[in-house]
Amino acid sequence: MTHDPLLRVENLEAWYGESKILHGVSIDVPRGETVALLGRNGAGKSTTLKAVMGIIRQRSGSIVLGGAPIESIPLHHVMRRGLGYVPEERGIFASLTVAENLVLPPRIAKSDVTLQDIYKLFPNLAERGSSLGTTLSGGEQQMLAIARMLLTGVNCLLLDEPTEGLAPVIVRRIGEVLRFLKTKGMTVLLVEQNFSFAQKVADRFFVMEHGKIIDKFSAADLSDRIPKLSNVLGL
Amino acid sequence: MSLFELSSSVIFGQLLVGLINGSFYALLSLGLAVIFGMLRVINFAHGAQYMLGAFVAWLVLRYAGIGYFPSLVIAPLVVGLAGSFIERKFLARVYALNHLYGLLLTLGIALICEGAMQYKYGSAGLPYSTPPVLSGAIDIGFMIVPIYRGWVVVASLVICIATWFLVERTKFGSYLRASTESPVLVQAFGVNVPRLMTLTYALGAGLAALAGVMAAPVYQVSPLMGQNIIIVVFAVVVVGGMGSIAGAIITGYGLGILEGLSKVVYPEASNIVVFALMALVLLLRPSGIFGRDEGLAGAAAGVDTQDSGYVLSPRMTRYLGMAGLLVLVLVPYIIYPTFAMKVLCFALFACAVNLLLGFTGLLSFGHAAFFGGASYITAYSLKVLGLTPEIGLLVGTLGAAALGLLFGFLAIRRQGIYFAMVTLALAQMFYFFCLQTPFTGGEDGLQAVPRGKLFGWIDLAETTTLYYFAAIVFVLGYISIRRIVHSPFGNILKAIRENERRAISLGYRTERYKLAVFVISAAIAGLAGGLKAIIFQFATLNDVTWQMSGEPILMTLLGGIGTLFGPVVGAILILSVENYLADSGFPVSVVMGLLFVLIVMVFRRGAVGELLVYAKRWRGWLDQRGAGRMLQRQQGLSVPPDPVS
Repeated sequence: MTHDPLLRVENLEAWYGESKILHGVSIDVPRGETVALLGRNGAGKSTTLKAVMGIIRQRSGSIVLGGAPIESIPLHHVMRRGLGYVPEERGIFASLTVAENLVLPPRIAKSDVTLQDIYKLFPNLAERGSSLGTTLSGGEQQMLAIARMLLTGVNCLLLDEPTEGLAPVIVRRIGEVLRFLKTKGMTVLLVEQNFSFAQKVADRFFVMEHGKIIDKFSAADLSDRIPKLSNVLGL
Repeated sequence: MSLFELSSSVIFGQLLVGLINGSFYALLSLGLAVIFGMLRVINFAHGAQYMLGAFVAWLVLRYAGIGYFPSLVIAPLVVGLAGSFIERKFLARVYALNHLYGLLLTLGIALICEGAMQYKYGSAGLPYSTPPVLSGAIDIGFMIVPIYRGWVVVASLVICIATWFLVERTKFGSYLRASTESPVLVQAFGVNVPRLMTLTYALGAGLAALAGVMAAPVYQVSPLMGQNIIIVVFAVVVVGGMGSIAGAIITGYGLGILEGLSKVVYPEASNIVVFALMALVLLLRPSGIFGRDEGLAGAAAGVDTQDSGYVLSPRMTRYLGMAGLLVLVLVPYIIYPTFAMKVLCFALFACAVNLLLGFTGLLSFGHAAFFGGASYITAYSLKVLGLTPEIGLLVGTLGAAALGLLFGFLAIRRQGIYFAMVTLALAQMFYFFCLQTPFTGGEDGLQAVPRGKLFGWIDLAETTTLYYFAAIVFVLGYISIRRIVHSPFGNILKAIRENERRAISLGYRTERYKLAVFVISAAIAGLAGGLKAIIFQFATLNDVTWQMSGEPILMTLLGGIGTLFGPVVGAILILSVENYLADSGFPVSVVMGLLFVLIVMVFRRGAVGELLVYAKRWRGWLDQRGAGRMLQRQQGLSVPPDPVS
């Protein structure tokens, strides 16, 4: 591991009411890298992202972003520290137009990605700017959810299952977007069930089961781990 | 020809009155809709904020000589600021709870404000003169329009359109709309949602205050000016649907005009027409004209009921029951029997409300209609028809049940807070009906009702006899509620309370169960009302006002929602407080309002609920200690515990 992770999660625990979901999750996300969090349904991947973001308030442990702890700040300050969240259900607002959805989050810094870049990456968003958000197709909504965060100038993205339920051609587009982001120096924590997608874009992998990290390795060691992974992930 | 001219000028005149009223309906329902969209709170204090707006204008004119136009800015700022304080300190703490608590909390705040202002300034209206610039009238060809009225119509239209623009077309508005869908996500996207909620509530309160200032020269400035209009506005909101800002505006003006025109055609109906239209809309399009179908969304989190399955042993139940009966027998020798009988009436009334609220999760804000309605019917039966008291009571109860069937049929089409608003509006319609129909004696009510002879031979004129008759009626009512709660039917009601959607998916036609329990509850409330008519020998409008619907709710809350005995305790406490205050001259509604706020904020379990928690802990402790001995005594007998709360 590098000495300077942009996002460092240590011993994270989280609860839904009475039931404990995360049992001490620790993840380092080095600056500029893409880290994939793998695991089966119900392993606690999405919960990890929500707990890091602070959407789940019943949690303990330490979350450090760019050297500063963020676990005790209000939810709306987390994004302002540079953490952009792209939820699994995409979070496109039905009563807002595409353009309103796109510029909803406040700008926190000058972004390396401009509106022109966005429209070049996702031409459909420009054409459909005045229609309501949820009239977009699933793939377009995913693009919108990612684009919305890129415009704000955050330097770390939490992506929850961006390929879920999308056609292969759209999945490839999202892969291209992630590689483009890497050239811009974006740090990404990606939750994925789609292993073949994750292995093409990620630099490091963490494997979760029953609310714990059970394995971690870098892309270079991936081929050695395939047998074990197929067992855990049911590939 | 001249007849036509006359009627056309009447029509235009009433059209203008309708437009004026419609302007206020629109401004108020707009504020309600903005607040509801963001906070999911039905702001019962909206009428009080409207009233406070008018009072601020009146006060700054009187004590600082500040006139109308500066008041248009000052009053909304003052009331908005007070609103943001209320949101921060009170409302923000009940968002996670059932939305009914927001309604009850704001009701408490409204009672405090209105009671305090009434105490200070009396009920009579205070005049506020029209600013000179806007005095006079202009002839616009077909009619003469007072300038101020024209100004109200135009200004309110401008404010409505500006608010619409703010919500639908600006960045701030996009935050509001997005937060309506998912506040958590919007906050995760970096928007300060808690502050947004404060601003929204302040905006809504400010709009109400602005309407109040504009209303001051038209109506008079009075502490109760907001009370009556707010219920009409609730009906407007049910008709239009909370879904859209534009819908609230259009419905507000539309219903104002409809009301105005009905004054031309059939003046007696003008008070009722808005409520009647609401009933019609509920039949044809339950989600409102502009509303989106939210399905069961309104019925989210459950009420904080204390019916937690905690059970007393059968032996304990028998002891408590016998002790209760003994107390009932001895009461007339200990306290003033008339007060005891009043307690019995209201305790039964509160138990009926609790059957709905505590055991089915339905907040009815219209039970005064059944209580007061039955009171009229029983009084009429005894006084005019000369029936015996037991028959009169039966007729009253059946009348309340029939009315309950009608109300319930309409109201169960909506859930949660909408249910509360619909029942409130229907009861208000009934109030106006009672005000105008000759059968009730109008403002005078039915006085000097003879008590008659029970079954034709027991004279109820004697107070002790009357007391025991009342006690028997109460016990029968209480036992039937207890029986219902513990029956299989009662279990389905509790399932509806916990999760209506799940009850439906299990195959229950929940609307039938809700209607059935609504009718039963109405009948028991009617029984209580009829009893009250016999005891006090009169039936008046007071028993059908919306405040009368609030009383049993407060008693239930104070005693413990969803506990069988809680409403009885609540009735004893509330009536004692009222009795005590009656001599002191301190405004009762302020105390009631404070109680509402206090209970919702810190005391949601109620008195009996708190006791049950202690009893549970105590028994848990006993069980731990006694576990060893219990093992030795194993009898292999499993008696199903009789749940009592």
